Amino acid sequence: MQPTPVPLEKVDLADLDVFEKNEAWGMFDTLRKEAPVHWNEEHDGGSGFWSITRYEDIEAVDKDPETFTSTKFTNLEEPPEEFQELRRSILESDGPRHLALRKLLMRDFTPAQLRRYEDFLRGLAALTVETALQQEEMDFVDAIAADYPIAVLARLLDTPEEMTPQLIAWGNEIVGFSDPEYARVLVNSEESQKYRHLPFSSPVSQEIFEYGRTLAAERKGGDGEDLVSKLVNRLPEDGIPLSPEHFDNYFLLLVVAGNETTRQAISHSMKALIDNPEQMQWLLDNPDKYPQAIEELLRWASPVYHFRRTATRDVELHGKTIKGGDKVVMWFASGNRDESKFDDPYTLDLSRFPNDHMTFGKGPHTCMGSNLARFEMRIIFETLLPRVASIAQTGDIRRVRSNFVNGIKAFPVRIESKQA
Amino acid sequence: MAGTITTVREHEGDLVVESADIVAEDVVALTLVDPDGDALPPWTPGAHVDLILEDGLVRQYSLCSDPADSRVIRVGVLKTPDSRGGSRFVHERLTKGSTVRVRGPRNHFPLVSSPRYIFIGGGIGITPMLPMIAEAEATGADWHLYYGGRSRASMGFLDELAAYGDKVTLVPQDEAGILDLATILGDPRDDTKVYVCGPEGLLGAVEAKCGAEWPAGSLHLERFAAKEIEAPAEGERSFELELAASGITLTVPPDRSIFDVCQDNGISVMGSCHEGICGTCEQVVLEGEVDHRDSVLSDSEKAANDAMMICVSRCKSDRLVLDL
Repeated sequence: MQPTPVPLEKVDLADLDVFEKNEAWGMFDTLRKEAPVHWNEEHDGGSGFWSITRYEDIEAVDKDPETFTSTKFTNLEEPPEEFQELRRSILESDGPRHLALRKLLMRDFTPAQLRRYEDFLRGLAALTVETALQQEEMDFVDAIAADYPIAVLARLLDTPEEMTPQLIAWGNEIVGFSDPEYARVLVNSEESQKYRHLPFSSPVSQEIFEYGRTLAAERKGGDGEDLVSKLVNRLPEDGIPLSPEHFDNYFLLLVVAGNETTRQAISHSMKALIDNPEQMQWLLDNPDKYPQAIEELLRWASPVYHFRRTATRDVELHGKTIKGGDKVVMWFASGNRDESKFDDPYTLDLSRFPNDHMTFGKGPHTCMGSNLARFEMRIIFETLLPRVASIAQTGDIRRVRSNFVNGIKAFPVRIESKQA
Repeated sequence: MAGTITTVREHEGDLVVESADIVAEDVVALTLVDPDGDALPPWTPGAHVDLILEDGLVRQYSLCSDPADSRVIRVGVLKTPDSRGGSRFVHERLTKGSTVRVRGPRNHFPLVSSPRYIFIGGGIGITPMLPMIAEAEATGADWHLYYGGRSRASMGFLDELAAYGDKVTLVPQDEAGILDLATILGDPRDDTKVYVCGPEGLLGAVEAKCGAEWPAGSLHLERFAAKEIEAPAEGERSFELELAASGITLTVPPDRSIFDVCQDNGISVMGSCHEGICGTCEQVVLEGEVDHRDSVLSDSEKAANDAMMICVSRCKSDRLVLDL
């Protein structure tokens, strides 16, 4: 459904109310049409940012790390210079070091590697679905979307089952850093100043670090096939070992990125299928089309609204001068609704092909887990949909108060099941 | 300095050769203008264009004119004996008044702002350095250019470089030997960016010297052959692509990637960067000798010949079988 247009002077993508109310889309539409490079002030002490909203501009920015660096951090928050090295992860690196860090685990996420987990994933999806379908009324996020990706992550990290609820809670707190319901310490709050040396300025990061270090100590020198073992026992190809801080940050990224975004993608996809029953039926009638349909669901979901870059020099784009040092925000969610790239972008069309969405980013920082996310989504829906006789939303959706993750916190549904 | 984003909207059109000047042995400088005298797209130092020559042969050349002059662009082209004929075509067929199709400019070698620069140009690799040193000079940076070549007669643009006085050191090999990289680079410094363009031997030597010692991000290389994923000298070839899991066989023509051909035929393949850097499109190879052109796989992984990035890599044998 086409969102209500928002006049340009009312556009404010720093206003979290807008995102909590799911009203950013109308702003994206206005910006793409009228102000593809748009300066947005920040009201929380931030220095303001340029919003880039057209598909091809976002792609150009994401593919030009020399001009638009990640090394000055990639969320809207501006960590103080003195803590930047401490907080730096692969997300905030560029160039050869970035590639070396990426290659440490990149090939653990290739389709061929992931196929090894297929039986495990199918078993896990079946267990998740069968457990959820014991009742008709449920919160879809709690019952299906949240546990499944984190259980996959726990398997990849080889953590004990009893840690799973803790991993979920950590993910929530970190990614919901601007949502009072999730975060014990809100980003940019007075209290968060004490934690500015930690990722997301969150004390939770410290807890995750400590857990990661325990695992690292246990597995160092071993021959485990889990991601932690590989991280502590592999040497990056540039010959520079992973420092303890880099390990901390890498581990934290796996814990957060590995579960939260996939959960959101699954929740959004379910909502899209409920809202478009003829599309759900088409998919049930064409079960060989799941991979293609997942791409459209990923475009639709856009679980990450943005990542940020910083200009390294003055750059002119669409008549605006972006100054060296300015924050530049790539609104991937907007690119995924760009009418010059996607016909009828507000129509869910599971048969859309090709579907070159930017849900995972477009450049050297493209999501490393993208194929895992696709695989997880395909298997959960292949498992769930044939078991559904009818599904309906039974109450309001509540959204994460964030302009970073496009997240669903609560999604009440009723599912009548049938035998597959 | 105000630059323009690279590759935002790529320009493609026919330009006219306003002049073709021999500036050194086997080096021609082509000055290109719009046939209607319109302004050309903006660019920044380090940018290059594609010249689309006969039979769809595409060659990349760095721009070596003044970015502030939107009326003309200039490229310097070395005639190389071993090429499929791209540079020979430029030398023999593009003369004053000729028309040539040009795509770009785009910039994969942008000049990052810095208080101090070391520029190293080897042979025809001098071309991107010309606008770079002009810019460094304009911003008041502390810079020095070292320009190596076989002999003085083979080194173009010497008259333009003379204007910079002792900020430019010429190193003709027959007089002064090869570039002394240890002295040129000196000790690693965190206030200095090193820009190098030239033959692979020079790039490799600078990379080896700078690699571990200099701060990450100091070294900037222009390596057309590898980074630009240029066609091999003998040209791209077509090959047969069998998708084992899908049970179909396709043909990959010289001008299409495996990724494109799969997508054209309705095969769902995942990709993102389409430049061989993100690793999303990796596929399992069952048969065929892969021509790896990505930046993802290590040398040993490439040698294993069991996986490939289908956005850029191709096949050396006549038939490639993927588990797809």
